[in-house]
Amino acid sequence: MPAFSRSLLLLPLIVVLAACRQATPSLPAIQVEISHVVGAAPLVIGVALTTPAGETLSVKRLQYYLSNPRLLRADGSWQAPPQDLQSPDGYYLIDAAKPETTHFLLPAAPAGEYSGVEFTIGVDEVRNGSGAQTGALDPAHGMFWTWATGYIHFKLEGRSPASPEADHAVTLHLGGNGLQRTVFLPFAPKPVRVSTDIQPTVHLHADLAAFLGGAAPLKFAEQPLVMQAKDGLPLADRLGSLLSVDHIHHEPAGAPHRP
Amino acid sequence: MKSRLVPRRSAGRVVLLAALLLAVFGGLALNARGGVERLVDYLALQRTPSFSVPAGWPQPVYDFSNNPITDAGFALGRQLFYDPKLSRDGTIACASCHQQFAAFAHYDHPVSHGIGNQNGKRNAPGLFNLAWQPQLMWDGSAHHLELQPLGPLANPVEMDQNLPDLLTRLRADAEYPARFAAAFGTPEIDSQRLLRALAQFTGTLVSANSRYDRYRAGDTDALSVTEQTGLASFRAHCASCHTEPLLSDFSYRSNGLDAEPKDPGRSTITGRDEDRGRFRVPSLRNLGLTPPYMHDGRFDTLEQVVEHYRSGVVDSAALDPVLRGGVRIDDGERDALLAFLRTLDDPAFVHDIRYADPGARR
Repeated sequence: MPAFSRSLLLLPLIVVLAACRQATPSLPAIQVEISHVVGAAPLVIGVALTTPAGETLSVKRLQYYLSNPRLLRADGSWQAPPQDLQSPDGYYLIDAAKPETTHFLLPAAPAGEYSGVEFTIGVDEVRNGSGAQTGALDPAHGMFWTWATGYIHFKLEGRSPASPEADHAVTLHLGGNGLQRTVFLPFAPKPVRVSTDIQPTVHLHADLAAFLGGAAPLKFAEQPLVMQAKDGLPLADRLGSLLSVDHIHHEPAGAPHRP
Repeated sequence: MKSRLVPRRSAGRVVLLAALLLAVFGGLALNARGGVERLVDYLALQRTPSFSVPAGWPQPVYDFSNNPITDAGFALGRQLFYDPKLSRDGTIACASCHQQFAAFAHYDHPVSHGIGNQNGKRNAPGLFNLAWQPQLMWDGSAHHLELQPLGPLANPVEMDQNLPDLLTRLRADAEYPARFAAAFGTPEIDSQRLLRALAQFTGTLVSANSRYDRYRAGDTDALSVTEQTGLASFRAHCASCHTEPLLSDFSYRSNGLDAEPKDPGRSTITGRDEDRGRFRVPSLRNLGLTPPYMHDGRFDTLEQVVEHYRSGVVDSAALDPVLRGGVRIDDGERDALLAFLRTLDDPAFVHDIRYADPGARR
């Protein structure tokens, strides 16, 4: 039998294998959506709000990094993608003024139930020292101290009449190693399900009032300007209260998303 | 027709070849030395430095495996290093304050001299063996070779250029997209490619060919008897911080310049009060080529520097303990030490045309 005819015999097998491959649909990744709020009200850039300390603040810029997401499985183990120091995957630069930055997909995770997600708020120390980066970590985004090399993890800029600075400026830049904070956000009331037919979405609130408030609300009259790691350190723990899970959607995969 | 033309053309070729050979050999014979030198220079100009670790040196800190040196990448880095387009108003290149003849320091400038005739804050250090430095800058603000250029680029008294604007300018340039394509495969210009091309140039600036190096390699004639005495003195008094073979341990120390430092130095980065007035221990390589000295360029001569350690060390909380009370170097020892320090210059490095301005006419 000529070789050509023999290979023809394999054709049905190839077709079946190809069909099987196609029949395995990809698992939808968990989507994260972030709404920026001040307590119960939405945060609007450029519109005055009242801080927990009773001061007025108009936010010009609110930007921060979320990084190194990992999911907690129902059995207590972690699902984390492998780290590649040459890739910006798993680093998200959130800008409250840019809607396209306030939703993203978490790295692919196997089917199953997950009870929470952990993020680093900021850029971890290893990546902070790994040279010129791309994507969300491109220093051209301006989240980088060029005079004290390292990423700015969190940036809040605006104006407050309470600020004694020129033009009543408020400038909080939290950066440098030691100021990154890790947050664990439990999925409540029910775990998030990853399966072929479901598109899960975790809707987070980033609450500026929670960041500025707490036991000793931040007063811009006293602290309008933070631009060094040393000065930012006492504020870094506030990063832990910025984010919370507001609600979770499970919708049919491929269906148009309703926020 | 054909049979007539062919031999004629061949004859023409022979004449041409003969003329060419005559011109070449005649030229060489007339000016053998200059011609050969020029030819060697020309060939060297075509070469890209390879990065290798000199014998007896530790492994470098910078990892070229993520940024492999290529002919086009190195040439691009070199072009960028010498291009004033990198500054906001197009007047200041990296090379403005890092001059090859001064081992890439700023000759005769106590502090760097930036855009709009502004003075910088600190002395522009020589650039060599940067791949071994765990951090860069006097205060260690840059903790990665690739990220270091972001400091002087952004500094309003140096190049005053914001990164997005610079990328826009390079993308619109007539030459750069093609050069980035040659170096990185596609014409896209982003900050990583910009910084990695620069690192291909700055990281390959290796200076390891001083007389001191030849002496270390076993050539006992490379240093005179006096210089060898100076080396012994250096090892006794200086080498605890200026560790061989890189001649720095890259720590941050106060060498007793001021009781109350004007420049906070390392403490700007660490936020620690005890680091006030501490600066990176500089390498002493190419010392004779890189005056003035200290982070603020306060000393013009090596004699002044050595005298500082002998008699000028000022006490302060930050002062390095080994310098408390100064360093005991008698007059004879001082002269030998000074003679030795001048053997650290590497003339081959400062004359290596692979590192020279690619636009300059020779």
